[in-house]
Amino acid sequence: MSGGDDEAIGGDRRDTGGGGEDMSGLDEDMAAGRSASGAGAGDADRTASGADGSPDGRWHADAEDLRAYARGELAPPRLWSVDTHLVACAPCREALATVSDPVVLDAGWERLDAELDAPRPRLLESLLVRIGVADHTARLLAATPVLRRSWLAAVALVLLMAVVATDAGRVAASPTLFLALAPLLPLAGVALSYGPVLDPTYEMAVVSPLHGFRLLMIRTVAVLTTGLVLNGLATLALPAYGLRALAWLLPALALTGTGLALTARWGPVLPPCLVGGAWVTLLMVAHAKADGGTLAPFTALGQGIAGAVAVLAAGLLYLVRDRFDFSPSHAFFADHTDFSDRSAA
Amino acid sequence: MTPTVSASGLTLRYGGTVALDDVSLRLSEGVTGLLGPNGAGKTTLLRVLATAVPADRGAFTVLGHDPGTTSGRLDVRRALGYLPQTPAFHPDFSAFEFVDYVAILKELTDRSARHREVRRVLEAVDLSDVRGKRIKRLSGGMRQRVGLAAALVGDPGFLVLDEPTVGLDPEQRMRFRELIAESGVGRTVLLSTHQTEDVAMLCHRVIVMVRGSIRFEGTPAELTARAAGRVWSSTARDPGARAGWRTGTGSFRNVGDPPKGADLLEPTLEDGYLLTLDGEPAEVAA
Repeated sequence: MSGGDDEAIGGDRRDTGGGGEDMSGLDEDMAAGRSASGAGAGDADRTASGADGSPDGRWHADAEDLRAYARGELAPPRLWSVDTHLVACAPCREALATVSDPVVLDAGWERLDAELDAPRPRLLESLLVRIGVADHTARLLAATPVLRRSWLAAVALVLLMAVVATDAGRVAASPTLFLALAPLLPLAGVALSYGPVLDPTYEMAVVSPLHGFRLLMIRTVAVLTTGLVLNGLATLALPAYGLRALAWLLPALALTGTGLALTARWGPVLPPCLVGGAWVTLLMVAHAKADGGTLAPFTALGQGIAGAVAVLAAGLLYLVRDRFDFSPSHAFFADHTDFSDRSAA
Repeated sequence: MTPTVSASGLTLRYGGTVALDDVSLRLSEGVTGLLGPNGAGKTTLLRVLATAVPADRGAFTVLGHDPGTTSGRLDVRRALGYLPQTPAFHPDFSAFEFVDYVAILKELTDRSARHREVRRVLEAVDLSDVRGKRIKRLSGGMRQRVGLAAALVGDPGFLVLDEPTVGLDPEQRMRFRELIAESGVGRTVLLSTHQTEDVAMLCHRVIVMVRGSIRFEGTPAELTARAAGRVWSSTARDPGARAGWRTGTGSFRNVGDPPKGADLLEPTLEDGYLLTLDGEPAEVAA
């Protein structure tokens, strides 16, 4: 794609990323398309030449993109850009006809027709697609409760407070408060991203062909990555501690992995609470024995143990993956009142 | 008719309570109604047949697939449309986005094909005009239709609907009944409901569950026939009746064993249902 065409696509991206529910952007484009429709159609290659080479001085879709579009092989976000542009641009629609098999072209128009019904992706989905996430995966992630802005803002605020408090009281050898808190945030995030309590559509997801473990992993990777990035940014705000400020990473992986593995057996609420409680208890015991030095979990030995726990938890999680294909606990559903009072005996 | 769903001996216990007690049934194409009081085990049966929870004992097949195996369960889920009791939605999603989300869960990953399918099911439930509206701004009836649209994605052969008409006003309920009736053409629909009118209007078969067991399985006419000669009118509530209530005309409608010379009334399906609930021995009609 030429530089000019890159810009053309970029211009369309501005529209596709709007994230609104309405089609007002399309209406504007259609109005623009009507004004451009009298400019005449060029062949595909001429259309591809961009503003400098096009007869009407407007940006146009790249010929290669049009061919891929006609074959149904163009992927988002470029697909969205061409969809939107075709609505507005008569020359490009005619150019599409010249590069298309008539049967395939009919399918393309049908596809475009369906696309016009689809609301534009919201901000989060657009961002995910732009960094290479498949559009269907992006939608699954958009339904993840903890990826909502309010949650991210809360995590960022907690981290900021932890960093400020740690930095203000910088007398110890390691940023203990920050290191104690940071592993709990990914644990909580992952726990809140899946399960019958917090996912309103959990029941529908469980009976879908998409394996529960796969959905869990898709969301876990996204939430964990987001949490680790936020933690990492917070770590950068504590440069005085050097690598010691990264001692949260392995405990975070160990806590999250253990919490998830136990979720398969005891549901999504109890295990994260137990694991989080165990972590706090461990730190309190370590604090009592540390005599002002580095707490045991943040020493080299403690880090090694945390790494080993993380690996074991990942292995256990894989072994119990099929348990995520059913509802983890009957007690989490409103229909528990639908049970007979009659005793099994 | 050839059964599309067959279950035998389904039993499920939660702690000390029995939710399903040796349930066997056969479903065929068309709409089958599932009636029963609260606590009868209707939702549990639906969740087992929808593969949300496994039964402790027993087995079933859906369209020839055995959910007892991993591959069979996947095949059942591919053939399944499920509308849970009081379905919840991601409130910030629009109707289109939500149905699109469910379509992705149903493995429709190709964007264009998926969007065509989403459009098709939204048209089928008459929601095309509000497809871009956020679900939290839709009425209760519209939300139920969004749920039905999601269940219809992929044209499933087995549709499980758990009390879909609860909370709807009469007009919405009638519209929803039309949609269920249309959905029952060419597929097997199991409809759990408290509304005997739903069954009378929609179903070619009816199952009555009480305390985890099936009390009746047959046609609506057969259920109604159970009350033949057992419904009568009187000027005061008959103390010998199993159920009785004052009607709008001021007379009492009694259900049970009528006294000699009673003024017998034409029975309804609800009369047959009430008599089935009232301590009658379990019976399966031929």
